[in-house]
Amino acid sequence: MSGPVPNAGDDLAGRPFDELVAELQRIVQTLEAGQVGLEDSIALYREGLRLHATCEERLRAAELAITELGRRGLAGAEVPEPAQEG
Amino acid sequence: MTTAPQASAGPRVWRVSDLNRRVRGLLDADTALADVWVEGEVSGPSFPPSGHCFFTLKDANSQIRAVLFREELERATVRPQHGAQLVCHGRVRAYEPQGVYQLYVESVTPVGAGDLHAQYEALRAKLGAEGLFEESRKRPLPRWPRRIGVVTSPVGAVWDDICTVLRRRYPLVEVVLSPTAVQGGVSAPAIVRALRRLYAVDGLDLVILARGGGSIEDLWGFNAEEVVRTVAASPIPIVVGVGHESDITLADFAADRRAPTPSAAAEIAVPDGTQLPNILARLSQRSATATAARFEAARRAVRGEGRALTGLRPDLAASRQRAAELLDRAHRALGSDLERRRLAAAGLRDSLRALGPLATLDRGYAVARRPDGMILRDPADVASGDELEIIVARGAVDTRVTGVRPGDMEELLA
Repeated sequence: MSGPVPNAGDDLAGRPFDELVAELQRIVQTLEAGQVGLEDSIALYREGLRLHATCEERLRAAELAITELGRRGLAGAEVPEPAQEG
Repeated sequence: MTTAPQASAGPRVWRVSDLNRRVRGLLDADTALADVWVEGEVSGPSFPPSGHCFFTLKDANSQIRAVLFREELERATVRPQHGAQLVCHGRVRAYEPQGVYQLYVESVTPVGAGDLHAQYEALRAKLGAEGLFEESRKRPLPRWPRRIGVVTSPVGAVWDDICTVLRRRYPLVEVVLSPTAVQGGVSAPAIVRALRRLYAVDGLDLVILARGGGSIEDLWGFNAEEVVRTVAASPIPIVVGVGHESDITLADFAADRRAPTPSAAAEIAVPDGTQLPNILARLSQRSATATAARFEAARRAVRGEGRALTGLRPDLAASRQRAAELLDRAHRALGSDLERRRLAAAGLRDSLRALGPLATLDRGYAVARRPDGMILRDPADVASGDELEIIVARGAVDTRVTGVRPGDMEELLA
């Protein structure tokens, strides 16, 4: 842990949803523990708002992404084909 | 290399070993021959000391030599006996030293649907003895899967049902479909290949193997030894949902989790995302409340200091000013248009206002404080009969606790 405000300012867009929720939980727990200074608590609170907004947006925009594997798999790995398949 | 000793005009003369190698290469190059199921009658099986089994597989018109090596023979549920009708699974190759081609058998199954239950029980006993169905092998499923692999038929209701459930519950997940035939015992090799294709995909958290209901013959692929073994060998947690509640295939036993139906498999695979907006809102509310409490504590500290000194000292003035500045900064920081829009979208305007402790108290909130000065956050910190000071916007109320009711709402996500 480098400080009371983890990952502040980094880009949330590329990060998995569950990670964002976990971080929001950590922030809430830190704030509720009441051990951080005033300035840090403001920064944490802002970060929490940002996480919340990002999560809500993700949920709103979520669409099930579906990929279908071809006969050779995703990476074109060698997968021998059967003589007959029904 | 081979060179004909005669003059260039003569025909090419092969060495026997070159010829056999050429034929073997031809057979090896044919992928259809690398994975065949052959039905026939066993003739003249021999069991030499090597532990292998050699026999001839024949029908009314033809025969082929077959070999079942010791390792495969030990795993087989039946021993090839003269006159038995068997379905042999294996590959066709040439044996160079003898110039013959033969069937290298990997597994044998007796022919005849009447035997299915017996086969099922025999295989269940055998694989069970190997420990494939042990409870201790079963892994927990990931709580928040990001990428799920699904092995099922791409046509039909099952695939649609799975997608519908995932869309409703947790559309944040990414699904990788590995399509396969699922009908009957002959689908077993296809199921195995579809599973292996998924196992080769990076970043999967979970696999679902599913099929709709049917007769025991319909579901037979999921009782095939190689399918069960492939399920058991999954590098990541695997959920099997085949048929209806009452259909239990051997693949079910080998899975980390068994689901009664394909839809149930999808339900088990992901968390219930319909509760997520509420959970998120609650987390935000908690962080707003905690932040407001932090400011309140700071304000009280400054005020208490002021009383004790009965006069304004420069450093106290500075502290006060600093606290005020911080509050202002918090409001400014959170008050930008951008932030306001986000907050409006999230329904968090109230949380923003709650940042100002006075505003909080003005709105009717109260702070409960024990005689030792501790701000009350957890009902476990007081008992019936304890004194509590309730601080409201324009004063304080002295009270006594008559009962305590701990809540359990907070840890829905923990």
